[in-house]
Amino acid sequence: MKHLLALFIFVAFALSSHAQDFKFGKVSKEELSQKQHALDSSAGAAVLFKDENIFFYYTDKSGFEQHREVHKRIKIYNKEGYDWATEKIFLYEAGAGSREKVSSLKGYTYNLKGEKITKEKLKKDGIFEEEVNDFIEIKTITMPNIQDGCVIELKYEIVSPFLGIDDIYFQYEIPMDRFDLRVATPEYYRYNRQINPKAFYYPKLVESTGSGTANYTNKKDYNDNNTASSSTVSSGSFSYKEQIIKAEEFNVPALKGEAFAGNMDNYRAKMSMELSAILNRYGAVEKSYSSSWEKVSKSIYDDSDFGNQLNRSNFFKDDVAAITASVSDDFQKAFLLQSYVKSKVKWNGLYGFRAQKGTRKAYMEGEGNVADINLLLIAMLRSQGVNANPVLVSTKNNGIPMFPTRKGFNYVICMVESEGGYALLDATEVYSMVNVLPERVLNWQGRVIKDDGTSGWVSLRPTEKAKETTMFNVKVNGDYSIEGKVRKSLTDHMALKYRKKFTGISDTEHIKQLEKDKGDIQVSELKFENNKDITQPVKLTYDYVLNDGVDEIGENLYFSPLFFLATKESPFKLEERKYPIDFIFPFEDKYVINIMLPENYQVESLPESQAFEFKNNDAKFTYFIKENGKFLQLTIIFEMNSSLINSTDYTLFKDFFEKIVEKQGEQIVLKKV
Amino acid sequence: MRLKSIITVFLMSFSSIIFAQDDDLFKAYETPSELLVKTNAVIRYNDVVVEVDDYNRFTLRKKRIVTIFNKQGISDQGTVVSYNKNRIIKTLEARIYDENGNEIKKYKKGDFEDVSAVSGGTLYSDNRLKYLDYTPIDYPYTIELEVEVDYKSTAFFPGWRPIEGFYASTQHSEYRIINNSDTEIKLKASNFEDYNIEKHSEYHYSAKNLSSLKPEAYSPSFETFAPILKVAMVEFEMEGVRGINNNWEDFGQWMHDKLLSGTEALPSGIKTEIKELTKNASTDLEKARIVYNYMQDKTRYISVQVGIGGWKPMLAEDVERLGYADCKGLSNYTKALLNEVGVEAHYAVIYGGSSIMSVDKEFSATEGNHVVLYVPNEEKNIWLECTSQTNPFGFIASFTDDRDALLITPEGGKIMHTTTYKTEDNLQTTHADVQLLLDGSIKGNVTIQTKGYQYALHEGVQNDPLREQELYFKNYWDYINNLSVENIVFDNDKDAIVFTEKVKVSSSSFAKKSGKRLLFQPNLFNRITNIPTRYETRTLDFEIERGYTDEDEFVIKIDPALKIEAMPKPVEISNQFGVYKFSIEKRSENELVYKRTQVLNKGYFPKEDYDDFRSFMSAIVKHDKTKVVLTN
Repeated sequence: MKHLLALFIFVAFALSSHAQDFKFGKVSKEELSQKQHALDSSAGAAVLFKDENIFFYYTDKSGFEQHREVHKRIKIYNKEGYDWATEKIFLYEAGAGSREKVSSLKGYTYNLKGEKITKEKLKKDGIFEEEVNDFIEIKTITMPNIQDGCVIELKYEIVSPFLGIDDIYFQYEIPMDRFDLRVATPEYYRYNRQINPKAFYYPKLVESTGSGTANYTNKKDYNDNNTASSSTVSSGSFSYKEQIIKAEEFNVPALKGEAFAGNMDNYRAKMSMELSAILNRYGAVEKSYSSSWEKVSKSIYDDSDFGNQLNRSNFFKDDVAAITASVSDDFQKAFLLQSYVKSKVKWNGLYGFRAQKGTRKAYMEGEGNVADINLLLIAMLRSQGVNANPVLVSTKNNGIPMFPTRKGFNYVICMVESEGGYALLDATEVYSMVNVLPERVLNWQGRVIKDDGTSGWVSLRPTEKAKETTMFNVKVNGDYSIEGKVRKSLTDHMALKYRKKFTGISDTEHIKQLEKDKGDIQVSELKFENNKDITQPVKLTYDYVLNDGVDEIGENLYFSPLFFLATKESPFKLEERKYPIDFIFPFEDKYVINIMLPENYQVESLPESQAFEFKNNDAKFTYFIKENGKFLQLTIIFEMNSSLINSTDYTLFKDFFEKIVEKQGEQIVLKKV
Repeated sequence: MRLKSIITVFLMSFSSIIFAQDDDLFKAYETPSELLVKTNAVIRYNDVVVEVDDYNRFTLRKKRIVTIFNKQGISDQGTVVSYNKNRIIKTLEARIYDENGNEIKKYKKGDFEDVSAVSGGTLYSDNRLKYLDYTPIDYPYTIELEVEVDYKSTAFFPGWRPIEGFYASTQHSEYRIINNSDTEIKLKASNFEDYNIEKHSEYHYSAKNLSSLKPEAYSPSFETFAPILKVAMVEFEMEGVRGINNNWEDFGQWMHDKLLSGTEALPSGIKTEIKELTKNASTDLEKARIVYNYMQDKTRYISVQVGIGGWKPMLAEDVERLGYADCKGLSNYTKALLNEVGVEAHYAVIYGGSSIMSVDKEFSATEGNHVVLYVPNEEKNIWLECTSQTNPFGFIASFTDDRDALLITPEGGKIMHTTTYKTEDNLQTTHADVQLLLDGSIKGNVTIQTKGYQYALHEGVQNDPLREQELYFKNYWDYINNLSVENIVFDNDKDAIVFTEKVKVSSSSFAKKSGKRLLFQPNLFNRITNIPTRYETRTLDFEIERGYTDEDEFVIKIDPALKIEAMPKPVEISNQFGVYKFSIEKRSENELVYKRTQVLNKGYFPKEDYDDFRSFMSAIVKHDKTKVVLTN
């Protein structure tokens, strides 16, 4: 057995063998004497070479086992790269001896001492095992004798009883000079593969077919009454086709973080493989998982933890009927039942489109995952004759679903259709409203599945502008302090965000937050209205006194009209960026300002009224100022009509934003009469 | 012995009777109203009994009822219990009650989540946690918890905090030790006098109706004002190693003899190498410097919590071979190297952290979270941070400076204070030559030089990639819109411990336009922009842990087409908190020199002075924005 395995690995290695230099142990002087990375001098470390070889091997005991051989050679330039001398391998367990194992682990650290290459072997004391929980074990490996300029080499194999293939990384936070990949899957398992479409680096895959051989032993026991028990053993082999994917990548740049880009893992060049079907030996589909969006949706719908949940209504029937009894409008019913579900069942923080407890148990216990809650809402709506359907969603952290896979989705919300219109609902978030979904859900598009199992796309990106309107009254005092009132009103996502942050927080703490970074200010008489009533915009009013609001220099007074409400700096500090800026939802931020001039002063100069826009009105800034007797009146509006700015437009947008900051800082000059 | 046990049983059952009968404790609405002020959770009842059976064994029994009023209060449930092979959870049960005291959920030991307790930076630790994963259906709710844990390692003794943390008040908390052993148990109570705490006997305390404390800016650490009872056994055992702890001297002696001794042997190759390296060094200081640099080049820091409760260092020979270890292993290895070349050095247990915390010199116990090395020297005592590959020799500002540490010497333990960095030594000087053009743009060169504590705040940037360095400067001067940064040059003089940053900057819209005027802020490169938080009534004293001095000089050349219309007068403020002064000198029609000095003194101040401190800082913020008016 062992012998065979060795032979097989040898064959596989021979097939995928590469240039000599990359043989394990053949670390060269050139590699060791490199002082910095040739293409990225800022890199603290680099992957000089990685080879990943994934294949399946047949055993009598467990059938096809997944093997993943990994060979990595990493150069460490300086202390910033030392973290790369530690490798974590995640291993999964499913109980009852069904677990992944690491074998043939070996590693060396190479250093250059003068002209001599020294090497230090990875020993047991550099390998740590941690049972994270019942399902995950982490093997942590840390290499010995790490010094600036060293090269480490690591080789291991993961043997897995599971058919699921872990994501394959084509990109790291450090540059990678070369990556060889080979994935061979037997004809009995059909996988869909997906390369992250958001990544700016795109690998080239070469596909082919090959063949594999499996050896088997059949043992039959005879045990009749006449003879002693005996057995016959037959053995043989069969061959099968293999689907082979190969890649040879050179000079993959490092993945670097940027502000407002969200989870950087969303932009990593990587490949996911998902089992779509298991075939029998005649090539017919025995079990299908997915192959088109239609089929993925159908397979999810047929899942007992999904579709079945939608038509159970006995347990809530009486409670629900009373709530919607006097209402005829479907959207009104949706609002009422969403509120009811929110009050009855709390979200436990877990995602998923499959019910964790089942709608019934979640309803009884008052707690459940996303599917428990939103499928319950749909079931309730359906029981009241509303056309409600589930919408499968991939959350922001899960990336964009571009390829038909079940794991492309990880969340479900509710869609209500009535009289040609529709609304989207999520009952997991206390302050979310009809059509105002939590941010985690706002990821491109979702897949709605109708009662008859058919499905289609529905856009999740909000189109309605969230509005923040601020009425700002200012009186300039004799001691150059200013005082007055601020009245704010916030709608939709602006309201949702504000409620999430401030509802339930004491007034003292709220005031402290309002005073933060606003200079020598005192806020009082705070009123926070509609903090819980989501049918109304959030209303916020407070009084303020700001010392030194106005500068007196020479005989004149100087101030910028937004005072402490001005945007002081642009968050876009990078000179260029590779990833889009995501504002998540379109919005309008409007200020109506009324400044009462102090006694004995008159206007010496005012900023100009002005408007500028970014790219066909995708964003717009309007600044309007007028003198009216003893008052200055301003209307300042910042509109983001599009919530996504492409990286190609970054410089333009950066300039636009800096102009806004500059305009807000322009000074009004008053002269003593 | 026998009699004692009987009494114990009696006491225990008595306590559970009280516990079971007081139903009001399960009803959130029965919480005394004075305990609801500024509180996320109220500890309704907390009864801890530690029963010591022998010097190497005790059992902790805890009964607890907590009412949680909001999401922030969940962490006060106290439903995270750590364990390992010497700390075994016997009982663990929880019940949840709704606002009216009706039981809505029950959890048995097996229902708790079980995870390894390996925190972010740590590679390995054999500690594990059991915690309750409960999603609140509604607030308030009340949780009842029963825990029993058997300790087979007695070096860490559970003490008592009647006020458990900020924003949590306490209705009733009780703590008792039942000592069935012959071992003496010592206690130290701090800050009890200010709170409603009753001492029933030497080993028995209770507290009633303690209001919550809220954190305030610049307040000293919680431990310095909250009531805390520390406890330690005089005879104890740490994972099978027996020890004595009457005082720091014999606790240190124990560490030396049982944990450190025998770990220092080095292979002969390295012995020769290090002697060769230091053979030309004439003083101990010089030798120590060479050894420290050698160690920095050769090793890296890895956190591995193994070996006698995480208290025994890795063998020096293993560190030599592997090139990594945690703070204990690296310090011990460096000590072995130093001893090899005849330099005296001592292992020192300390609290590491930017916030200053001392090992308690009056009460010996298993304390500290970090280890450094102490090298006695006639010129000046040297402290070595062995986990850093970049620190200058003997530099410890910002992590282990100005605090008491426990030295482990062959003659036993000793308390020693680490290096204090003085206000005048923590110096930053900023010099700039700038041109202001007609359109309000600026361009120029800036040089920042830092020493002492300020060195520690600045030097990290040199290790960042270029893109991050640019961002660092853009954030450092975040009040300059449209800033560009070029030609970044660093000079890190590790011998003198001076860090120099040189950078070329420009901004297309620095001066603000207003009609024919330009408003120009002459403090371009060192502004304080934040005023300390305002409090209606300040409740806690405040502390400046480290003083500093900033000196700035900016030479500003102004476009000849611009005329100076108005200029601020010089300002000078001096008080117990420090000094602030600036002046603008007109060298010629188009050249200004702006000079600024700002000193913040180290000190501990009563709460009554907070408003003055805030006014001082507000004045600085205001003057740092001072403006010059130009016209064309």
